[in-house]
Amino acid sequence: MGGVRVGNRVIGAQAPVTVGWENVPRVEGGPVKQFVFTWFQPTVLFALIAFWYYAPNSIATASTAIGIGIGFRMLLLALEWVNPRHDSWRLTWKELVVDLFYVSLGYTFLGMIESYIGGGAMIKAIQGSFDWDKLAWFTGMPLLLQALLISFIFDFGQYWMHRGMHNWYPLWLTHAPHHYITQLNINKGAVGNPVELFLIGLGIGGFFDFLPRAALLAGTLGLAVGTYQHINVRFNTPRWWRFLFNTTEHHSVHHSQDYEATRSNYSSTWIVIDRLFGTAVDGEAELLGMEGGRRMSIPEMMVYPFTEGWKTFRERFSKGQLPPTAVPAE
Amino acid sequence: MTSRVFDWIWHVRGSVALAPGQSRDDAFDRLDPLFDQTGTSRARFDDTLEFRKRAQAAQDKMAIFDGGTLKIEHGAAGPVLRYNLTSRALLFCFLAPLLFLAFAQFSIALSKYDKPSAAEAAVEKKKAEEVEKKNAERPLHPIDTFLGAPAPEKPKKDDKSKKDKEDDKGKHSPTPAYVFAALFAVLYVAGRILEDRLIKSLFKKRLLGL
Repeated sequence: MGGVRVGNRVIGAQAPVTVGWENVPRVEGGPVKQFVFTWFQPTVLFALIAFWYYAPNSIATASTAIGIGIGFRMLLLALEWVNPRHDSWRLTWKELVVDLFYVSLGYTFLGMIESYIGGGAMIKAIQGSFDWDKLAWFTGMPLLLQALLISFIFDFGQYWMHRGMHNWYPLWLTHAPHHYITQLNINKGAVGNPVELFLIGLGIGGFFDFLPRAALLAGTLGLAVGTYQHINVRFNTPRWWRFLFNTTEHHSVHHSQDYEATRSNYSSTWIVIDRLFGTAVDGEAELLGMEGGRRMSIPEMMVYPFTEGWKTFRERFSKGQLPPTAVPAE
Repeated sequence: MTSRVFDWIWHVRGSVALAPGQSRDDAFDRLDPLFDQTGTSRARFDDTLEFRKRAQAAQDKMAIFDGGTLKIEHGAAGPVLRYNLTSRALLFCFLAPLLFLAFAQFSIALSKYDKPSAAEAAVEKKKAEEVEKKNAERPLHPIDTFLGAPAPEKPKKDDKSKKDKEDDKGKHSPTPAYVFAALFAVLYVAGRILEDRLIKSLFKKRLLGL
């Protein structure tokens, strides 16, 4: 496998990766199907933005956002069933149940812990101890600009945290379990070690004062763009969208079994951040996972950062005291 | 005896008639590819095939099962494949609602433990009201006013009763845990019926060579 040169790197030398939008297949089917899967993404995005922009204050609340989020995910699950991208990513009963287990942990037990030690709690503590008010620079700006800033600031932080997770071993230990997934489905974003979910959720947005409606608008941007990261559906995504936003194609390259391909497309919503820092690779991959695609069970995912970290710690600091693992032939 | 009363929860048992004139070896040969998968070990002797799976791939057709026994027996109507398969996934899905009910009770207990005193609650309420008032007093940007976005509303006195209701639930709502407990219960019922039918259909198709 030769791979393709992208900038200074060779992508796809270890596992198959399709590089270049011209090589990514289009949606197959009749004119109605083509129309639906071409216009679905931008229509949903602008409809949701319009909804949150114009909704009366009584409806523009967090609980409405949660309801819309759940409804949207169920619609996308139905799309996966009707128009799967790859047969090898088919959502089976077992995959659905395991994915939902991780999702449910996040909404229940982990959510409770997060309220005490999560990013929001940390920011409140810092503001409290320094007696800081929220920075009120943005509240006078137009709503959509505020929303854009919230989304971009958060994604900027996410990009660097994610890039750090792929470059610094202690952070990689928390993120590695997520990379053992061998297929992309709607709820696969939640699959991983809880420590990683805590880290990736950290953001400095809490230091800034925004109008609540702007925060809801930013949230819907994340929903209408970020949800497509892990999805088994093919869309004919518009060119401008693929330039600005992260897509399934981008994220499949990031999850590929090819090592160099995983060191790309770190952002969550704005792939333009990857373009800015030279880590964007346009293309797609079907063969995903780690260690040749071996499955990682739920118990292993929970303890992996600690067991692997301990193994590395022992190897590094025992030097010569442990018996050699490989015996020379002579 | 007692275990058979409950073990249907994670055991899937059934039988499929062999095709007319199909020998035992031919039947097992046709089923063999199903067990030639990553993480699967099998042993075949006489009329029995036993298998175990570990870290099976997501797209393994029998991924939900962790082990089992397939036996070819000769019944009155001819040779029949009887299978007894075990599934940890089904068992954990059955037990998951209990876990989430426990999380719900934990959240209620934590809310009670973490309930602020009357003085603290009053201070928090005042802060929240100040934030709402501040939001309401901020004028919308002229562009937003021109485009017709609703201005933030001033906090009404009627909203106080709504807020009191929310305060009663406490800091941690048990609702998500209850919802997921119900969801896993529904998923278990659906899975137990679906996977039973799917495996029977799979064995039937493979025995017929389809």
